[in-house]
Amino acid sequence: MSNIWTEGSSRRDFLKMTATAGVAGSGLLALPGHAQAAPLNFYTWSAAVDTVKSHLGAFEAKTGIKVNYNNAPWAQYRDTMVTKFVGKAPLDVLWVSDSWLPEWADAGWLAPVNNFPDLMKYNAEADDFSTQSMQYKGKQYGLSYYTDYMAFFYDEEKLKKAGIKEPPSTWDELVQQSLKIKAAGISEYPMMLPMARESWLIEFLTAMVYSNGGGFTDASGAAIMSDPKKGAVQALQWIVDAVNKHKIISPACVETGELNGLKSFSSGNHAFALLSRYRIRTLNDPKQSQIAGHVKQALMPAGVGGSHATVGWMRFHGMTAQAAADKTRAANAAKLIEWFGGKADGQYRFQKMLFNDIGSGFAVKELFKDPEVQASYAKYSDMAMFEKQQQFARKKDVITRWFGEWDEVNGSAWQSAVIGKSTAAEALKKSAQAWNDLRKQV
Amino acid sequence: MSNRTPALRRLIGRPVSAYDQKSAMLFLAPMMVILTVVAVFPILYSFWISLFDLKLTRPHRAPFVWLDNYAHIFQDSMFWDSVGRSTSFTLMSVSAIMFIAMLMALLLNEEFRGRRILSAILLIPWAIPYVANGLMWKWIYDSGYGALNGLLFQLGLIDKYMVMLGDVQKTMLLITNSFVWKEVPLATILLLVTLKSIRADLYSAAKVDGANVWQRFVHITLPALTPGFALVMIYETMMAIRHFDLFFILTEGGPADASHVVAWQVYVETFRKLAFGTGAALAYIMAIVTFTLAFFIIRSTSRKL
Repeated sequence: MSNIWTEGSSRRDFLKMTATAGVAGSGLLALPGHAQAAPLNFYTWSAAVDTVKSHLGAFEAKTGIKVNYNNAPWAQYRDTMVTKFVGKAPLDVLWVSDSWLPEWADAGWLAPVNNFPDLMKYNAEADDFSTQSMQYKGKQYGLSYYTDYMAFFYDEEKLKKAGIKEPPSTWDELVQQSLKIKAAGISEYPMMLPMARESWLIEFLTAMVYSNGGGFTDASGAAIMSDPKKGAVQALQWIVDAVNKHKIISPACVETGELNGLKSFSSGNHAFALLSRYRIRTLNDPKQSQIAGHVKQALMPAGVGGSHATVGWMRFHGMTAQAAADKTRAANAAKLIEWFGGKADGQYRFQKMLFNDIGSGFAVKELFKDPEVQASYAKYSDMAMFEKQQQFARKKDVITRWFGEWDEVNGSAWQSAVIGKSTAAEALKKSAQAWNDLRKQV
Repeated sequence: MSNRTPALRRLIGRPVSAYDQKSAMLFLAPMMVILTVVAVFPILYSFWISLFDLKLTRPHRAPFVWLDNYAHIFQDSMFWDSVGRSTSFTLMSVSAIMFIAMLMALLLNEEFRGRRILSAILLIPWAIPYVANGLMWKWIYDSGYGALNGLLFQLGLIDKYMVMLGDVQKTMLLITNSFVWKEVPLATILLLVTLKSIRADLYSAAKVDGANVWQRFVHITLPALTPGFALVMIYETMMAIRHFDLFFILTEGGPADASHVVAWQVYVETFRKLAFGTGAALAYIMAIVTFTLAFFIIRSTSRKL
């Protein structure tokens, strides 16, 4: 090889050397052993971005591990991630919704974290439903980002005006109280239930089904939603009657999404609402709500033979199979997951930050006892009720590889019954049929 | 090349040399390469994809299934229901656009004070992006606080706010209305240009012959507008069949399946189910239908264009 510094070297030699040096400098010729120096790639949806960045900065300072952080809007997150997985884009740690876990785990994109005792130890301090929501086929795929559940809220002032002393404890009582409120002219549609076709819909429906003592599927994963004694038919029939017979829920519920439902309830249009638990902070904020200070949480009303059960969901930090394939990267990724989903410097710092910043829930039991968390929550709601209802929360029983496809059919079927295009039984028969077909195909 | 050579010869006004042909090919080559990469290849590749049972969430198994995706689509009752909805949406919207655009064009063809301002105002809906248009109409149609309900209530036409997009009887009509509102300006311009090309002496001669306004409209204006109508019909039919944005923003195919049109089904298959094989097949069917329709419309009106 000629030396570019010697007199006889050509321009071509110089260019070759320069190109080689450039490629080497860019890392393309780096040996596998040098991968440890490459930064981790962390991807989230666009929520709590500043909080994430600040916590990430602390992680980098503490560990010396560099992290490339990126995010995408929630609405496009699944598509974006799937495309990245298929395109083998560099990804190490990412936020995952429990709804996508079977799909991503079966595709081999996510790696279980069971081999990391530093991560698994946190299960002992977390609510069971949240841990179960991160597990698939006996393996665990990450640590919590946040967890929450569908809650039942009421406007105490409206109930008082109607002479009602206690919130309803059953769905039948809710009908009676609503009729009373309606008759008193306090609210035209006392109950607010968002039923628009969006990703929230399954959470509302599952909460209704669970509180009616049933489920969509049994323990073996077979469809039970069309069985009249298994909760779903009762739940849907209750909604159909509430809209069409009692007229306590607006027929516009099929075009009302979770966010519009929140706005409608906080504008004082309703006495009762099903909403995500963390919305209580907005509902009791005078800057954002006309009924601030009057909104209380009660246990989910129970159906006949049902309970106060509700649905909980989990969003968690997962590790990609790509990261797990390299020991050093996997170890660094596990450290990052622990920093966010577990303890950072001996505290559940990230979960507390999220709670204080946006009011999102947590799976860690000890945070319910944290004086700072309690003091913060007491400003707008009742911590005891928060914790009590969380104990009734269960993970969704429809989270499978075919969930997305079935959800399209199911959402449409429930809406069909509500708008009177089919009966509750017919709608759920269609939903069960779709479930069984998809299950057979997969 | 043999067919093209005389045309080229006419164009440059002298015999075409091999050098000319090579030069022409050379100059065209970059654009042909770009077109091949960005248009021809994706079109062919998406057809290739439509022959596979390809799901992004099942990356390790994508069997070649020949035309099974197409067969499944044609056996699916949901597809035929969505074809029905797309057809009725297209018929309603294209008829309304042509009728309203004709009235607007006739109005703007007259001389009156404020005509220029009215012309400028007319362009506003056209200038608004589809997504912004959809979000605006979502607010207008809202059953709880929407401006349409507010207006009807203020006018005393309703005694309480009505369910709008959530009412299956109204859903498609309301979406059609939003689409028509957005599309009328362009159609008006196309018809106005055609109107401007009608010779004034035709009207003068008709007046001399004693033709009244209606007769002049029927016997002069309408026939002369035919090329404009043909253009509007072709363009708006293609737009309506493929239209997706308003269905996505206003209803997401609901309530139930009330606004589940073919374009929405393509989206659901491709981006929600991530079933790229079926999605590509559906998109191909939609493209073929669109081109076939355009072909027949062009053929039946070609003499008038």
